[in-house]
Amino acid sequence: MGKIVSIHSFRGGTGKSNSTANLAAHVALAGKRVGVVDTDIQSPGIHVLFGLDESSMGKTLNDFLNGKCEIKDVAFNIGENVGSDEGRAQLAGKDIWLFPSSIRGSDISQILRKGYDVNLLNTGLQTLMKEFDLDYLFIDTHPGLNEETLLSIAISDVLIIILRPDNQDFQGTAVTVHIARSLDVPNLLLMVNKAVPGTDLDDLTKQIEAAFKTSPIGILPLNFELASNGSKDLFSLSNPEHDWSKGIRKIAEVILSIP
Amino acid sequence: MDQETISQLKNIDWFDELSDDMLAGLAQKILKRTLKKDEVLFQKGDEGNSLFIINSGWVKVIARDTQGSDIVLNQVGAGEIIGEMALLDNEPRSAGVVALEKTEVLELKRVDFMEILKQQPDLALSVIRNFSSRMRYNTSYIEKITEMSKRVAKGDYSFIGETQASQKGIKQVSDQDKIGQLLAEFFAMVQGVKSREDDLKNQVEKLTLQIDESQLKEELDEITGTDFYVKLKDQAKKLREQRLDNK
Ligand SMILES: Nc1ncnc2c1ncn2[C@@H]1O[C@H](COP(=O)(O)OP(=O)(O)O)[C@@H](O)[C@H]1O
Ligand SMILES: [Mg+2]
Repeated sequence: MGKIVSIHSFRGGTGKSNSTANLAAHVALAGKRVGVVDTDIQSPGIHVLFGLDESSMGKTLNDFLNGKCEIKDVAFNIGENVGSDEGRAQLAGKDIWLFPSSIRGSDISQILRKGYDVNLLNTGLQTLMKEFDLDYLFIDTHPGLNEETLLSIAISDVLIIILRPDNQDFQGTAVTVHIARSLDVPNLLLMVNKAVPGTDLDDLTKQIEAAFKTSPIGILPLNFELASNGSKDLFSLSNPEHDWSKGIRKIAEVILSIP
Repeated sequence: MDQETISQLKNIDWFDELSDDMLAGLAQKILKRTLKKDEVLFQKGDEGNSLFIINSGWVKVIARDTQGSDIVLNQVGAGEIIGEMALLDNEPRSAGVVALEKTEVLELKRVDFMEILKQQPDLALSVIRNFSSRMRYNTSYIEKITEMSKRVAKGDYSFIGETQASQKGIKQVSDQDKIGQLLAEFFAMVQGVKSREDDLKNQVEKLTLQIDESQLKEELDEITGTDFYVKLKDQAKKLREQRLDNK
């Protein structure tokens, strides 16, 4: 039975797309059948990490939500289109598909203007899990708590909330944690990203435990190399020795170990 | 032959490799001058055509800042040389020199120095050796500073401990040695940067993250009060179970 893993953060720029792509890649490397959906329709980003640009992008989630195609038509087979970038190249032959959102300005403004049927999104997600026989479906969500994000939280077997160690994220994360518990999400995982050098990890862990009644599954460091690589490759695959990559691998193990 | 001048020259590291004969030849060309307090030895921009050895007293090396007032770059006392570069190049003086008190200087003019060099190739060799060992010494410090700069850029300050001992040594010679001075300044700077970074880290470490409970309640109510949410909550479990059945 396949699992839906949603990755959420209160604010944008927290590292959601980078974390989602790298986690999905490790799970695919472990031999699982993996889908990655970009439901951040307003500010899509994960396609870049898988080497897609406007010219190489075929059908998108927007087309599906507009009733112009079926969800399976949106799939981009990553394992067969890995390209030459060092990290991504390791995914050659793996069972991993991306379901991208459109990056065309007109598509984005149209969907923002007209909205879409959240139930259709739900049906689409359920269908693609079945048709692609997925073990894991990773959902890169839109920050904040709009309807489609609430939906992806509600249907998640695993919800990973990414936060930066600051007050604004703490406050926002508290809201999501409460919502997720009220929606009975079976596995709620907190991950800290962009921890500045010198962070007192024990102290931060204690503060998170006190505030959210759960331990963080990882505290990943601020990673200057990742920031300068411009989200163009899968960092944890091209730089496996970096602490950030080790953190990602550990979280991937946690996801794989959930029964 | 002025025995006093010879022994004075011997104490200058520039000339310490010279034989007594060479020093004697040199001593003949030396002019002694006495400066009164506040007397100007030369000004910035003057033609530089001789070297001075401070025999007694103190001078200050000065430059003019953009506001036109003098800033003291250095103080130089007995046994030290100023203007030595003028012996080899023709550049104008890069800074001015003024006596801080009654000061005796020994002057060696470039023309005389060149004349001696022609007659005494050994002296030329000795001067060249002196220059190149200074250069090598300076280069080794530049390399050190380059290496340390790279480490600082990566946040690695471990060399501060390693090099503490030699840093003290540098401070002692730094009056004659501008590169040594640079290194000492560099260390002071790195230590300053490190302590500020440590302070910052302490602040980060002490960061207390807080949740405003009333704001949290407000935000939760806003979401959970919508029809969408009420329906979603009702369906959530069903949605998950449905998927499991589908497989
Ligand atoms: N641990 C990190 N350290 C430094 N920069 C990071 C880190 N994680 C992500 N980034 C950078 O932050 C920006 C936002 O990351 P992204 O994954 O697109 O976040 P989101 O999807 O949450 O908006 C990108 O420029 C990315 O390179
Ligand atoms: Mg994103």
